[in-house]
Amino acid sequence: MATGENAPPLLAMRGIRKSFGGVTVLHGVDLTLERGEVLALLGENGAGKSTLMKVLGGDYARDAGEIRFDGQSVEIRSPRDAERLGVRVIHQELSYAPELSVAENVLMGHLPRRGGPLGSVLGAIEWAEAYRKAGEILASLKADIDPREPVGLLSVGRQQVVEIAKALAGEPARVLVLDEPTAALTAREVRRLFETIATLRARGVAMVYISHRLDEVEEVAQRVTVLRDGRVAGDRPMADVSRAEIVRLMVGRDVAAHERGERGADAESGSDAPLLEVRGLTRRGAFEEVSFAVRPGEIVGLYGLLGAGQIDVLRALFGVPPADAGTVAVDGRPVALRSPEDAVRAGLGFVPEDRKTEGLILGMSVAENLTLGNWAGVAPGGVFRPERERERTEHWTARLGIRAPSGPGQAVGTLSGGNQQKVVLARWLEAGTRVLLLSEPTRGVDVGARADIYAVLEELRGRGFAVLLASSDLEEIEATADRTLVFARGRVVAEIGRADATQETLLAAAAGEENL
Amino acid sequence: MTTESGAEDVTAATVPARKGRGGANWKESLGLVAIFVLLVITLSVLSPYFLTVNNLLNILVAVSVIGIIAVAMTMVIVSGGIDLSVGSIVALTGVVVAQLSHRMPTPAAAGVALGIGLFAGLLNGLAVTRVGINPLIATLGMLSIARGLSFVFSGGLTQTISDEGFKFLGRGYVLGVPFQVVVLVLLYLLAAWVLRSTVVGRAFYAVGGNARAARLAGLPVARIQMLGYLLSGLSAALGGLFLASQLGAGAPQAATGIELSVIAAVILGGTSLSGGKGAIGGTLLGVLILGTLNNGLTLLNVSSYYQEVARGVVLLFAVALDRLRLRLSATE
Repeated sequence: MATGENAPPLLAMRGIRKSFGGVTVLHGVDLTLERGEVLALLGENGAGKSTLMKVLGGDYARDAGEIRFDGQSVEIRSPRDAERLGVRVIHQELSYAPELSVAENVLMGHLPRRGGPLGSVLGAIEWAEAYRKAGEILASLKADIDPREPVGLLSVGRQQVVEIAKALAGEPARVLVLDEPTAALTAREVRRLFETIATLRARGVAMVYISHRLDEVEEVAQRVTVLRDGRVAGDRPMADVSRAEIVRLMVGRDVAAHERGERGADAESGSDAPLLEVRGLTRRGAFEEVSFAVRPGEIVGLYGLLGAGQIDVLRALFGVPPADAGTVAVDGRPVALRSPEDAVRAGLGFVPEDRKTEGLILGMSVAENLTLGNWAGVAPGGVFRPERERERTEHWTARLGIRAPSGPGQAVGTLSGGNQQKVVLARWLEAGTRVLLLSEPTRGVDVGARADIYAVLEELRGRGFAVLLASSDLEEIEATADRTLVFARGRVVAEIGRADATQETLLAAAAGEENL
Repeated sequence: MTTESGAEDVTAATVPARKGRGGANWKESLGLVAIFVLLVITLSVLSPYFLTVNNLLNILVAVSVIGIIAVAMTMVIVSGGIDLSVGSIVALTGVVVAQLSHRMPTPAAAGVALGIGLFAGLLNGLAVTRVGINPLIATLGMLSIARGLSFVFSGGLTQTISDEGFKFLGRGYVLGVPFQVVVLVLLYLLAAWVLRSTVVGRAFYAVGGNARAARLAGLPVARIQMLGYLLSGLSAALGGLFLASQLGAGAPQAATGIELSVIAAVILGGTSLSGGKGAIGGTLLGVLILGTLNNGLTLLNVSSYYQEVARGVVLLFAVALDRLRLRLSATE
């Protein structure tokens, strides 16, 4: 944006590398930022965006590479270093104190003290000055917010502005990083945020804007840097690049091409009556009028950007929390799903995204976790038959390849992530579930175990299970789902069959682009 | 995806290797047995009266009220809760049975008293599972309510019970063994079996180990927690009957603070305050250690005021031990 032909850019990151315990997340990434420029930083989940910004913000130390401000090499070893250089990161999860006033939040750590010993010794605050100062900063952002109001009472959009105002208090901000700033905002709040961004640009503040929403990015950014697998896949002026091209850069065309055509012939196999039928499912504020059906032997993917509602629908089917309206039928019979107990009784099983806090009881053994809640078979009359429990556990550990070297009595917390996930899957298989709801089943699972889990999914398909798979991993959806329902802002916006489901079409549909 | 997952698996690998929940790990129990034996030897040396059959039976009789309540308390704490109201329920049921024994047959009065204990447990359970009040606070409220009511019903006075048959509960013998001790032993055997071998016991451990995961596995978490509080109220009422029978009276100030002894015994016995871990055998050891200590201090003519101090010290020691166990299992 700014010319910068001879002047060095405001910020230049060169050849940044970062790895965690042998896994390289950034393979030498370059990023340049001019004064008064908004740079869109794009990439799929795990492409390295957050890591790169944490290196800039001083949360992570880089392994190699150089950071220059105004052409001068700098070291950023801590968040404090970054702050001194004028770098401010506004995280997706806002970090305000809800009970405190806007002024206290904005000026946190910089509240003006009263004169005399009251201020210097006791730290008494000069409130009139504090409100005036906070009001000034807010006015400079053209925001009409009362500095006296508690932040917890403001709308999310206004809280976002307070967060930006906070970044501008204290030492002057030069680089502002906005991580998914619009994820929780309404359309009108997004407009206001863009006005604030324009105001900041005019003052020469440079911004890195991270978002999945391509329409927003096109509007607000002047340049785009796309990361893929820890490398820069492209760095273009916004005006020179089409939306389709951005999606291709993010996904990497080659990946999409070679996965295709492996399956597809048997996609139409399940022609029986639906096993799970959902009509008009609604929970206000989360999702609306969601309808679909799943036949036995079918895996239906649920895809959407963060907060698009796909996970909420899945959880609503398990009653955590339940939907407000709509009907669900399992095997043709209507069922009320008010709680997990109802759902389990109706023949549903849920594999939550966080197996450590929601899937497993870490202090219990593999056997105890595997038979959890489904005790009729191993404890007839309510009394456990240890040999039966052992036998059922060994059956499933062998069948699914669960590696528990010490046997069924091994504490489940000592297994690897993939094996833990297989224990949760085995629980529902043992329980005789017919409809399985999977939420991000391979998050945090290594490559080998991931393949195992996909093999289990294939087996479920063969046994006539109806499977709903919510995932933010495009490759996973592409590789496993027979059909995919794409969610955006709480609604199903597209249904894409296996033949048409490429990472490009899915991402484009989710990002709000109909024809690519 | 792959990058974040890589980072997560690194942490997963360093997650402490924990033993299954199991009954208090036998090594831990061994430590408790050692403490108990050491205590017995020390007291035998210090007092000639300690190691006599009569005195040992005395100890068992003395711990029977605490011991009975500690059984249900173990279940409540294993399932992730706690019940502070048991001492007050002991007093309330004692007062009720004493008052009513003059107006109706004593067995009926005892039945009403047990019903009151159950009802108090129901209210505790509803407060925790339906209203969502922290168990510490909910049962603290009940502690005050039940204690207050026992003063209301008694007018603050101790009321004697004249029924001869009722005396059997607290003072009768079966084949030379005090009836209370027989009940105590049977209760521990039953509870050990329930916790180790039945789905009810497994459900307590599951809910205490991770209530969210238990709920998502389809367990009726609220009902399981409720069962714990019901049993706790019932066992406190049973303890109240035994105590009233021992005293031959219902006293509104009876059993003040015994919830601390009960909880100390349970925690000392290896049940984790954070839930999901523990066993009934450990609780029995905890009860015996506590009872032996009290008995020994009495034999050594230590003032009962100091015994109260000792009880506090044991409680703090037990909780410190619990933290230590947690830390040890984390670095194992």
